[in-house]
Amino acid sequence: MEATNVKEGIIKGRSIGDGVAIGKAFLISSKSKTVSPTSITKGAVKNNKNRFLKARTSLIDELQLMADELKDSGSAEIIDTQQQIIKDAEIERNVFEIIENKLLSVDFAIYQTYCQFIERLKESGSELFRQRIVDLEDLRDRFISKVSDQKNKKSVKKGALIVAREISPTDLVSYYEDGAVGLVMEKGGVTSHAAIIAKSLGMPCIVSADHVTKEVQNNELIILDGESGSLIHHPSKKTLKEYKKKAAKGDKLKTKKCSDTFETSDGFSFTLKANIEFEAELPKVKKQGAQGIGLLRTESLLFGHRRRKSEEEQLAFYNTILEGSEGPVTIRLFDIGGDKSSGRAVKEGNPFLGWRGIRLLLDEKELLRNQLRAILKIAAKHPGRVKILVPMISIINEVKDIRKEIEQIQSELLSEGIKIDDNVPLGLMVEVPSVALSAYQFAKEVDFLSVGTNDLTQYTMAVDRGNERICNLFQHYHPSVLRLIKMTVEGAEKAAIEVSVCGELAGDEIGAACLIGFGIKDLSMVPESIPKISGLLGSRSKSDFEALAEAAVERSSAEEIEELFQEWKSN
Amino acid sequence: MIKKKVTIINSAGLHARPSAQLVKLASKYKSDFYIHSYGYRVNGKSILGVMTLAAESGAELELELDGPDEKDALEAIVDLVESKFGMEDE
Repeated sequence: MEATNVKEGIIKGRSIGDGVAIGKAFLISSKSKTVSPTSITKGAVKNNKNRFLKARTSLIDELQLMADELKDSGSAEIIDTQQQIIKDAEIERNVFEIIENKLLSVDFAIYQTYCQFIERLKESGSELFRQRIVDLEDLRDRFISKVSDQKNKKSVKKGALIVAREISPTDLVSYYEDGAVGLVMEKGGVTSHAAIIAKSLGMPCIVSADHVTKEVQNNELIILDGESGSLIHHPSKKTLKEYKKKAAKGDKLKTKKCSDTFETSDGFSFTLKANIEFEAELPKVKKQGAQGIGLLRTESLLFGHRRRKSEEEQLAFYNTILEGSEGPVTIRLFDIGGDKSSGRAVKEGNPFLGWRGIRLLLDEKELLRNQLRAILKIAAKHPGRVKILVPMISIINEVKDIRKEIEQIQSELLSEGIKIDDNVPLGLMVEVPSVALSAYQFAKEVDFLSVGTNDLTQYTMAVDRGNERICNLFQHYHPSVLRLIKMTVEGAEKAAIEVSVCGELAGDEIGAACLIGFGIKDLSMVPESIPKISGLLGSRSKSDFEALAEAAVERSSAEEIEELFQEWKSN
Repeated sequence: MIKKKVTIINSAGLHARPSAQLVKLASKYKSDFYIHSYGYRVNGKSILGVMTLAAESGAELELELDGPDEKDALEAIVDLVESKFGMEDE
């Protein structure tokens, strides 16, 4: 395949996961949400119409299958509504008209028809359909992928390296399960969702690799060097040989087992857990010796083609996670809003300061109750292992409201004759500075606190972490952030409850060292970071870390803390 | 062709589920069914059409039926609306 006269080339990006991967590129053409109009001939009209009808039948069948599996009437009614939308005669009339009269292809006809209705619903300005618009957009996308599926279904081969402009976390996991071993993205920052998942899956990954989808050909042999953040195409024989050696070495290093217990050099024990989102990450959790799951994200249950929104589907998912892991599992309630819902109907001026996390959940009772029911049921099945974590708390009433909801669901389950564990710990995320500042007052109301350092940093520094222009201001271990964490620990101690940290800071050497120094003994991070962090934390004594943390909060910038850490480390 | 005015009285308004019920019921009849509301006219057998009315509680709709079973259809639809779509207010 390779032409010998093509010179070896390097494309630079930002590195996410370490390691080397060598394989054939699997190019994913840009998957933009807009479908562009494609002209068809008169002769193709019939074929395009038939594709619409076929896709419609199979979508309806799929929904029926789902409805049959679900026993609760709520979900069944929602599915029934979706089926009616798909069957809607106005949709058919409109789609056929576009195909016949404008001679445009079926995918565009569907796209335009749905968009028209979505626009009209938006114009109606009614609050009634906020959620329905998201559903409609989802139906539209499923419909379009269904009609396209009939034409070409690409599947990834084992050992392939995904090269894409941008990829959704759910798609990434699908490819991973099919055997993909690396990821290169043109867009996306270091904290982009797909990048975090790639890291967690242990896939070498590069982001912000300019023009990579234009320069790399599908199926061509490429090398992904996660260490230097570069992609090498048309490698010379010599380069290839070097990298093959490197890859073999890396595999050995990765499988090095950690000790079963973690402690500092003077015997202060601490717990290292994993942050995960998908079942596919479970083997990594085990391999890296995590002592539980400190953060199970659940948002992906609500979006994309893997969505599992109903109580039964959620129950099955939580069960897989609990059965496939050991130790406690902290399930965070849906943290939607902010950056995690591109499909939101109502555009907010400041989504990160808007309707997200608990604020949304308390308004969307059906969503909240379904999730609580599933979690409480699973908690009874695995007594003592499940904890509930509430995102985006900013005022104390939200804590009281969520507790009321939980109590209500518990008595509901009891009255239905379902066994419950009435001792499921309830905790809240410390991500809004108001919570850290009044930590004691919040701590009194709950069983544990978990610091989400990404959002705490974002809200403390007033910096959007997704905005590349100002991402240098996103400083995890800025002294102000560390001080807020210290205050949180003090408040929790006074209320005699535990604090854990589940943000990126816990998986960072400087961060983890300071956190242990503050007296936090429960850290949760991407599984891949566990060996590195346990190594560092096991190498020094507790008082060493305390001295570092004490000095760190007195500094005035993140750079000074970095210098301090280097100095401390070399002593 | 017959026409009749009705008012949406269930507190949640004509949201997705009531719309689905309305469309399902209307589709059982042969007659054409249109709804007029504040200057709009939509196909009452199209759930998306009905939803775009965004009829909240208190909204007035004019039902228009045309066909062999128009009387029965109208009666059934009016019953459904007046029974608050069989759902107790949440």
